[in-house]
Amino acid sequence: MFQKLVCGLGLASIVALCGAAQAAEAPKEIKFGTLYASAGPFAVISMPVHYGLKLWAEQANAEGGVFVKAFNKKIPVKLVAYDDQSNPATAATLYDQLITQDKVDILITDSGSVLTAPAVPIARNHKMLLIDQTGTGANFFTADNPYIALMSDPVSTIWPKPLADFITHDGPALGIKRVALLYSTNDFTTTQANAVRKFITEAKAGIDIVYDQGVETKTSNYTVLINNIRATNPDAVIELGYDGNDIAFLRNLQDSGTKFKMVFCIYPGLETNVLEKNVGGEGLQYVYTYVPSSEIAYQASFGMNLAQYKAAWDKKYTDGKVEFGFNSVAGYTTGLVLEKALSVADSLDQLALRNAIASLSGNLRTLDGTFAIDEMGAQIGEITPLGQLALDKDKHIKFVTVYPHDVATGKAIYPAP
Amino acid sequence: MLIYSLLAGLLFGLYFTLIGLGLNLVFGVMRIVNLAHGDFLMLGGFLAFWLFNLFAVNPLPAIPIALFLFMMAGLPLYYLLVPRLLAARDPEMLSIILFFGFSQVIEALTTIAFGTSERSIPGIELGRPVAAVESWFAGRKVAPGPVTLFGQTFPAAWIVSAIVSALAVFLIFLYLYRTRLGYLTRAVMVQREEALSSGINVHRVSAIAFGVGIALAAISGLFAPFMLGSITPAMGVDVTIVSFAVIVIGSLGNPLGTVLGGVLYGISYMLMQSYFSSWANLLPYLLLIAILLVRPSGLLGRQVRRA
Repeated sequence: MFQKLVCGLGLASIVALCGAAQAAEAPKEIKFGTLYASAGPFAVISMPVHYGLKLWAEQANAEGGVFVKAFNKKIPVKLVAYDDQSNPATAATLYDQLITQDKVDILITDSGSVLTAPAVPIARNHKMLLIDQTGTGANFFTADNPYIALMSDPVSTIWPKPLADFITHDGPALGIKRVALLYSTNDFTTTQANAVRKFITEAKAGIDIVYDQGVETKTSNYTVLINNIRATNPDAVIELGYDGNDIAFLRNLQDSGTKFKMVFCIYPGLETNVLEKNVGGEGLQYVYTYVPSSEIAYQASFGMNLAQYKAAWDKKYTDGKVEFGFNSVAGYTTGLVLEKALSVADSLDQLALRNAIASLSGNLRTLDGTFAIDEMGAQIGEITPLGQLALDKDKHIKFVTVYPHDVATGKAIYPAP
Repeated sequence: MLIYSLLAGLLFGLYFTLIGLGLNLVFGVMRIVNLAHGDFLMLGGFLAFWLFNLFAVNPLPAIPIALFLFMMAGLPLYYLLVPRLLAARDPEMLSIILFFGFSQVIEALTTIAFGTSERSIPGIELGRPVAAVESWFAGRKVAPGPVTLFGQTFPAAWIVSAIVSALAVFLIFLYLYRTRLGYLTRAVMVQREEALSSGINVHRVSAIAFGVGIALAAISGLFAPFMLGSITPAMGVDVTIVSFAVIVIGSLGNPLGTVLGGVLYGISYMLMQSYFSSWANLLPYLLLIAILLVRPSGLLGRQVRRA
């Protein structure tokens, strides 16, 4: 009896002590450190991502925080965010500051490959898991670096596959034999260009790349380049750039009176509102682009669906200074993935977090599609089909998914009238 | 390809002449480097955008509006900033720091006011006046669209901005060489202290030149949505760098040098885009280094100081 009592008291003490220890160790808040660019060339893609993440954090905190399995309780989230002004050098300093001074629990990148690039070696050196929001450059993901995971956007080595497949599978029948490739020389679009080139070459479908040039990302006038492309008589033109590049390219195309049979650009799909305001509906008509999650209502098993999120966005951000688009979905998706990962991670140890994120692969469906990463942390889910833009009856842009055929909502119009 | 690049370079270069003209005038008269020049261009771009969107005002009639507004802004700005700068031991260096800070302030305020997104005006808007002129000559209605020049097709905006640039150069030339104010301005350009001692109201002359300088930046900004793809609050710094290269190539302080610098830059840029596209944006820096090594005073360097 006495022995049982002692054992019982002992066990109770241990449980109580463990509970006390857990309660004592549980932080008041989970610090999420991130950067954003309020100014500079990447502000347009950075601010929507940041606003999306902020919206998620506010919603999570309104419900008492996120459930952290390691402490078996809900803990509020604190977003520590600095403005890198689109400057990679400033970003590098600030990433370091987030790790060493602010001692954040989770390190989240700014948007886009250019501002993600400086974070990759810094995070790795500090053995800090880098939550890569939209940086899809191929060289971020290596087999010997477990300290990175890509949240949204398929990695750029596979992202353009639907485009390349359309050209190599459907293209020959449509008459596509000569392709022009123009890209901005940064991690993001150079990787995309390399992937397009590789897919087309490997397909051996009789497609020739007749123009293949890189231009600096700051390029703002494409008139001469368009004339040079026209001289090669291509059947399809693929222009890969950031939003500013795409705006300039499509406007120059329109203003110079040049018509190509097929034009592909990335950002008419990712930041449709911005592109439509700058290029106009007619300038975007017949342009091919990725169909992002901001245009496809994926069934979300976790978090808000697209309609709910759009409504929440419109309610919160009423001034219209930051446009709703794919990047705004990406920021919110980052929050959702982290929330889910914290709910299954055994500790806040960085590799435990990485394992928790990996465990979600293929099992987590958000408004951004099915989250799936490979062993290097690169996103291989959330695939964006190929679409072609058309005008609706109000002369606004709408998406017609043209490839892959199993998700197509219409047929490609080729050549463009 | 070569002929197109050369012609495009000439037209594009004339636009950069327009951009550099104001910067050079300010430097020539005051010997200060206005690193906020590109931001005044950006503000001109936003003026064009809002005038078009709110009142459907074409960028061409917006020219006198920009001239008036930015002249009016430039005069008090001059008296607020420049006399103190000129009293410093090293006004050139101090001006670089001061106007860099001013540039950041303008960019930040514009971002707060308008957000970060790109903005544009449909290219057809500058095609309309060109089409009207073409219709008048042809005696039939010509639809707005690209313009054919020596067998090559260019956006109408390129032709319009090149014409406006040529006109601006001509008017600046008239102002400097055919008006009393211009004589006084040139006197200040040659030797500020001597001008002061001979009774010239140096500050009044300089303030007007400063106002004209930033008004020229704003006028070139009216065409930025057409020539530079779109406008954003962040575009100023890059524009300032290129325009600085343009005026250094031609020679600091010499308006004719700006024409030469602009055209040389434009042609070189378009040739680079055609044949070494990845390296094209390095061009301003390469030209700057080359000209500073070979002819530090610029291509038309000596004439200006003796003007």
